[in-house]
Amino acid sequence: MIAWGGGDRTREFEEVALVHLDALYRTALRLTHNRAEAEDVVQEACLRAFRNFHRFNPGTNCRAWLFTILRNVFLNRLRRAGHEVLNEDPAVWESAGESVTTPASARKSPEEEFFQTVLHGDVDRALKGLPLVFREAVILADLEGLSYREVGEVLGCPTGTVMSRLFRGRSLLRQSLGRFARERGYIKESG
Amino acid sequence: MNCQDFETHLAPFVDGELGVDETAAAAAHVGDCPRCQALAEQERQFRQLLRRQPRESAPPEFRARVTALCRREARRKALRPWFVAPALAAAAALAVALLQPGLGRPAPLVGELVANHIAYVDIERPAEFASTDRRKVAEWFRERAALRATVPDLSGAGIRLVGGRIGQIRERRAAFVLYEKGRTLLSIFMVPTLGGGAALPGTPVSYRGLQYVKQEQKGYRTVAWTEGDTVFGLVSLLDYQALLECADALRFERARESRV
Repeated sequence: MIAWGGGDRTREFEEVALVHLDALYRTALRLTHNRAEAEDVVQEACLRAFRNFHRFNPGTNCRAWLFTILRNVFLNRLRRAGHEVLNEDPAVWESAGESVTTPASARKSPEEEFFQTVLHGDVDRALKGLPLVFREAVILADLEGLSYREVGEVLGCPTGTVMSRLFRGRSLLRQSLGRFARERGYIKESG
Repeated sequence: MNCQDFETHLAPFVDGELGVDETAAAAAHVGDCPRCQALAEQERQFRQLLRRQPRESAPPEFRARVTALCRREARRKALRPWFVAPALAAAAALAVALLQPGLGRPAPLVGELVANHIAYVDIERPAEFASTDRRKVAEWFRERAALRATVPDLSGAGIRLVGGRIGQIRERRAAFVLYEKGRTLLSIFMVPTLGGGAALPGTPVSYRGLQYVKQEQKGYRTVAWTEGDTVFGLVSLLDYQALLECADALRFERARESRV
């Protein structure tokens, strides 16, 4: 437990938590697509984290803890703005295409050759089109490098769910990136 | 492991999320099957594409504003410490959820390190990120998993850097820096601890004024120590003298980094 009220606590917060400010900011940008809003979300999340920092157990994962707070702040704001939060409608899942157990042999391989042709901004554009449930999983795991377990901690779901969301998120992302590449004529229509 | 099994394990394999045995089995399959090797490669390229996205930083004015707000908040709270009480209840649920995974009975850490090391020995290309560039390996750990890994120069002892790997030790992400001397692999593990500085089992040994514990398991020699909130462990078939020299080089490098 950290001593209460002293400058040490502030310094410790800066050293342990605020070092992740860039990651929080980037992630908020990718969630909100808006700089001012991203700043509001991060600022609120940081203050909330600071107020609860004495409850944070040193040595546990601060980054996952901060992402959890950031996500809660973001979802609360969405709700307050009257948006429907996290579309878990099975139809969305179906439309994501392949199931986790789809044999790779059934996937189209020419689709995969577009990696070299992906342009600056394509990934963000493709991410933007992902339903939030998949987008947040992909951002945390693939862009910010959190483990399945940490992603599960942030999203409040079991590792198996993390894996299936990642699978579908990545599939959708690949489809979009392939489409962008095709639009530019870099790769041929496949099958 | 056959092709079908491999495909169901493909994503966690590439993400470094399989257990030791499954990683070894998947790696063995990839070694035998060019088709699955190509699949894994494709999957890796996709991950790298995502990881290589520009990493935007928070604007300096914004960083300054957040820092100032937190400092102001601290002054306000210092005057009215009771003010925080309602927030405690809300925080408690979250904190409990976060703490629980770590509270389990600790497995023998050194045994886990040795098991990981043995798994890597069997793999054709043990490094998840292969590079002989110390700076690049350290940077990879930082970017990929926010791990601070010290990558010492051991070339003076004829020990060559192979690369890095991120693994789970006791449900925490840990950095594994891999070296080799000839065909002998040396793993350096850096495992963030849960804050409690639990004593490491083994025979205490002092080398150049610093303390270590040494232990032999399954024919592999290990040298370990705790520094700050990180447990360091070296595992190899190399002799203790070589391991202690490497450990000393690492601590020297770590101290140098901290000063910079």
